[in-house]
Amino acid sequence: MFTLNFLIRRLTQGVVIIGLVSLLIFTLLRVVPGDPVRLMAGGMAPEALIEKIAKDMGLRDPIIVQFGRYMGSVLQGDLGQSFVRPANGAATGGANFNDTTRGERAKVLTLILEALPMTLQLAAVTLAIALLFSAVVGIAGGLNPSGWPDKLAFYISSVFISLPNFWLGIVLTLLLSVKLGWLPAIGYHGFAYTILPAVVLAVEMSPVLIRTLVGAVSSQMTEPYVSVGRVRGLGRTRIIANHVMRNASVPLLNLLGIQFSSLLGGVIIVEYIFDYPGLGLLTINAVLQRDFPLIQGIAIVTSAIFVVINIIVDLVATTIDPRLDY
Amino acid sequence: MAALLELRNMTVALGRSETAKVILDDVSFSLAPKEIVGVVGASASGKTVLSRAAVNWLEPPLTRRSGTVLFEGRDIYAMKEADMRALRQRVSYVGANPMGALDPTLPVGAQIVEKMRAVMPDVSRRQAEDRVIALLDAVRIPSARNRFHDYPSQFSGGMMQRALIVDALVTNPAVLVADNVTQPLDVTVAAQVIRLIKELTDQFDTAVLFISSSLPMVREASSRTLVIDRGRIVEEQATEALVASPIHPYTRELVAQTPQIWRGAGAVPALPAEREVVLSLRDASQTYRVKKRNGIGGVNLVRAVRNVTFDVRRGDSFAIVGESGCGKSTLMRLLSRLELPSAGQILCEGKDIATLRGRDLLAFRARLQLVLQDPFGSLPPRTSIGRMLEEPLRTHGWRDKEKLRARVLKVMLEVGLAAELYNELPLGLSAGQRQRVNVARALVLEPTILIMDETLSALDQAEQFKLLDLFQALQKEYNLTYIFISHDLAMVRKVCNRVAVMYLGEVFELADNQRLFFDPGHPYTMALLSAMPTLEEKRYKPEDCLLEGEPPSPLSIPAGCSFKSRCPRAMEICNGEQPFLTVRDEQDFAACHLVARTMSPAERASP
Amino acid sequence: MSIMSITSSHSSTPLASRSLARRVFDRAVASPGFRVGAAIFLALVLATALYPELSAIDPTKMDVKARLLPPLFTGTNWNWGHPLGTDQIGRDMLVRSLVGLRYSFLIGMASVIVMLIVGCALGTVAGYFGGRTDAVIMRLTDAQLSIPMIILAIAVLGVSRPTIPAIVLVLGISNWPVYARMMRSVVMTERQREFVRAAKIGGSTDLRIIVTLLLPLLLPSVLFSSVLDVARMMIFESTLGFLGLGVQPPTPTFGNIIADGRKYLLNAWWIATMPGLFLGLTLTSINLMGAALERARDTVHAGGE
Repeated sequence: MFTLNFLIRRLTQGVVIIGLVSLLIFTLLRVVPGDPVRLMAGGMAPEALIEKIAKDMGLRDPIIVQFGRYMGSVLQGDLGQSFVRPANGAATGGANFNDTTRGERAKVLTLILEALPMTLQLAAVTLAIALLFSAVVGIAGGLNPSGWPDKLAFYISSVFISLPNFWLGIVLTLLLSVKLGWLPAIGYHGFAYTILPAVVLAVEMSPVLIRTLVGAVSSQMTEPYVSVGRVRGLGRTRIIANHVMRNASVPLLNLLGIQFSSLLGGVIIVEYIFDYPGLGLLTINAVLQRDFPLIQGIAIVTSAIFVVINIIVDLVATTIDPRLDY
Repeated sequence: MAALLELRNMTVALGRSETAKVILDDVSFSLAPKEIVGVVGASASGKTVLSRAAVNWLEPPLTRRSGTVLFEGRDIYAMKEADMRALRQRVSYVGANPMGALDPTLPVGAQIVEKMRAVMPDVSRRQAEDRVIALLDAVRIPSARNRFHDYPSQFSGGMMQRALIVDALVTNPAVLVADNVTQPLDVTVAAQVIRLIKELTDQFDTAVLFISSSLPMVREASSRTLVIDRGRIVEEQATEALVASPIHPYTRELVAQTPQIWRGAGAVPALPAEREVVLSLRDASQTYRVKKRNGIGGVNLVRAVRNVTFDVRRGDSFAIVGESGCGKSTLMRLLSRLELPSAGQILCEGKDIATLRGRDLLAFRARLQLVLQDPFGSLPPRTSIGRMLEEPLRTHGWRDKEKLRARVLKVMLEVGLAAELYNELPLGLSAGQRQRVNVARALVLEPTILIMDETLSALDQAEQFKLLDLFQALQKEYNLTYIFISHDLAMVRKVCNRVAVMYLGEVFELADNQRLFFDPGHPYTMALLSAMPTLEEKRYKPEDCLLEGEPPSPLSIPAGCSFKSRCPRAMEICNGEQPFLTVRDEQDFAACHLVARTMSPAERASP
Repeated sequence: MSIMSITSSHSSTPLASRSLARRVFDRAVASPGFRVGAAIFLALVLATALYPELSAIDPTKMDVKARLLPPLFTGTNWNWGHPLGTDQIGRDMLVRSLVGLRYSFLIGMASVIVMLIVGCALGTVAGYFGGRTDAVIMRLTDAQLSIPMIILAIAVLGVSRPTIPAIVLVLGISNWPVYARMMRSVVMTERQREFVRAAKIGGSTDLRIIVTLLLPLLLPSVLFSSVLDVARMMIFESTLGFLGLGVQPPTPTFGNIIADGRKYLLNAWWIATMPGLFLGLTLTSINLMGAALERARDTVHAGGE
């Protein structure tokens, strides 16, 4: 009953969030200067033709009308068609203006669904590396406050958080791929191509994880139940494994929920550097080509994923700590 | 009898260095099997460290400098870690902080089972569970089998303390060290817990070291008592002898400081009956809406204050007493207009305070002021004391710097704060000084009514006496009206002329001081009085009127009398009909069918 | 007056009246992490302020004779005139990096100020008033947190001209939710405190309580966190530059230098890596100070010291 109530409430909130995101992006893309039709049709197209295309596509209606029409089709599961990408793959920029046979434009949903699994794979490998590394460094640091593991954790996280991901990507490619030839880097031709981008992302992610873990573990260690556990006859290992870790995992989980979007932000840049064919590369190209339907589609999908992940995170957190009430 | 537990020349310091402060100074005593020994001492006397030293639980910076503890002749400080852990089966401990003692994210029962199996690996999970449930039942936790699966946050303080007694006794220990176990509990619950400890340890042949800051509590529990002062045991006697004829000066002081209730006449001067009514409650109620955790979009109604009606007259020292959760804090918020009542009215000098706006509201604020409970949380940490005291004047339109300063300095002088403190931040002040700043902040607007919200509860006895004297002097000087919100009946007996007893949001009894203490009209008042820790001979025998269980949740107040589930004198009528405040005498009222029965219908007017 | 005799005034020894913020700061300064960070940072600030002028090298001046010189002690033809080498058209890498650092730092600071103002204002309002106001503001922050800010930033800057004020505004506006949440949660707990209650009883208005009591108390601890965000914003600024959406060439910024250098990665590795190292060093120094401050704050607030 509690879970059902929770799900209903959170899903409703989620719909509101996604609606807000769509509205925000939709308005933003239409109030900033830059006409997508000009880009689609090519610089040489006559003004009258551009106006005609724009009218046909409904781009000259009031924003709210356009938004209503758009959301109507989104609700039917149709995210629209890309302005610039043909259905048969290979991104093209603004090609010839009299070549606008719109039926051949790629469906936004298809484009996203093609790219999404690649990004999910990258995200999963990243999370695995980051969690493993942060757990070792962070827990050791939290158990020895102001000892050397704590200092190590402090310096590692301070240095890692200072490395811009695009620079690190370039340096690691140069070292590991070009000079040493250990790992492949550019493009995607198999699982090995995921590793290097994942390492770069893990470096970007782990400082926050480490700091949260150090903080959570060390503050749990000062909780009275840890000290009382000793006089109740529980061993230190048992207290740490059964109780401290359990309690310390809650802030970590919450962090993962919130960090999702900054992980995705990192993914965009890293995919761009490594030419990794995921959602990030798709996003950056969509923005650079002013492919409005695609940008909107991506925003809706990512915010939906964000909502779902946060619901899962909160559900797991409430099962760990029943006091939490979201 | 051979000693079961023996402390030998135990000296403990705060830190390792030579100059470190000594907390326990050469303490020796022993505990025989099945014996209950009490240790009494003020806060910071070293009694908690003593309890920890006895169970080998000193954590840095506490350092054992010399001495040791023998359990059945074995030196527990010479043991290996694993042996000591195994010994925890026989030596157990209950502390003063029940709410923090267990992992908040796991069910209470599971954690007690975990502890039992950690020190007794041969016990199967099933056996352990059965034993825990049986014991939870034995400490009178209702529906123990269900509560076994509840989380610590779902237990009240009293329930949790019982669960921890189960945790301590589940391994059938030879010694139980109980450190200040009653400290966080309400008096009626504390009395139950002491009774439980005595019963259970008797049943299991457990010896108990009962440590407390309250001499009456120790007297209740133990047969022999040690007095500890500044880390030294200063006196040891059989408990009754110690109370009757204390030898050491410190013990004498301790006995003398324990408040008296029935001996001697009341200290409160009589006031003329006809005085102007300054504050008047008419069926004031407050209901909070709390989101339901289960069910969709529903709200629960928490009825925190229910139909409270009484008058406060000029010059009164009016007490509102009750245990935690009785609604007295909500009532305080209503009286001070921090919240508006959901029903009913509060009239200040004839005007409904809910309707006050703008200038009228400011005038009301100047007339009625509040002195808060927590001496640390109530002062903004980054504001100097002078500035803090000027603030209310500024909001009331004072602008002239010289006048402001003069007024503030005058008030500081009145409450006994040195003028040099004017430019200081509150960081270095003692609790007593902080409370004086609080009083000064309230007085600076020259109010006529002061509400004291547990103002003294954070202070030690000596400081309490000084502030009470100050209050009485101020009352004389300015003809103030006080409303004390308190759980401390001894203080109320000493200073208040009129008392309202609250339970579950209702006023159960409203009476003058003498009448309330000597002829209470409500069984709950009687239970409160019987549970009061005092050294006098009890006027009301706990056996006759002590309560079982705890108050029902304000979410689901039962029909009829809300006290019936705990009342030793509940009758048929209490199930169906809710008793209302009924006149017992000209100005004494009680909400109980027992009172109504002895009255003629004509006298049943409402107050 | 009779009252005077009752009350013995307590000793007026000098009181430990250092404010919380002061204690946090002192504690942080005492830590080695902060000192290392501060030393590096000061050196970089001095170099950034003085070297480009002192050396009188124009960061945009081409010098075909001195193109693709490697940094000190690497390769064969390095020289002291160009400690970090030169790029493909002979511009001095050190001066370019230092000028880039100026822009990066100023943009970082400015955008943190923007996000502090927006975030703290909205967070305080949400936390203090609660209820519907709170719900609306929180849904807004949720919505913004749910899409990566970089998408927002590149979407806006990609279609409009990336001028410095536009960059500052976009960075600031895309990051305010973090502060809104932080401020909201602390205001929510602080407004329950007894001294707030006391102020209300004294007749203070909500605005007066927020401005005179809550903000002075809460802002310092938020400011300690914002040091870390200066570094974060500098990274974002350089990311935008790398994507070609930052301050436009010929003005050198870390982002556009690295993006340029990437094309020459195989024959002149230093063009892309050296500025990054420089940026990394700057950020590390800021992050060391920021993390030390945050840590000190957490210990002091937890009752340590």
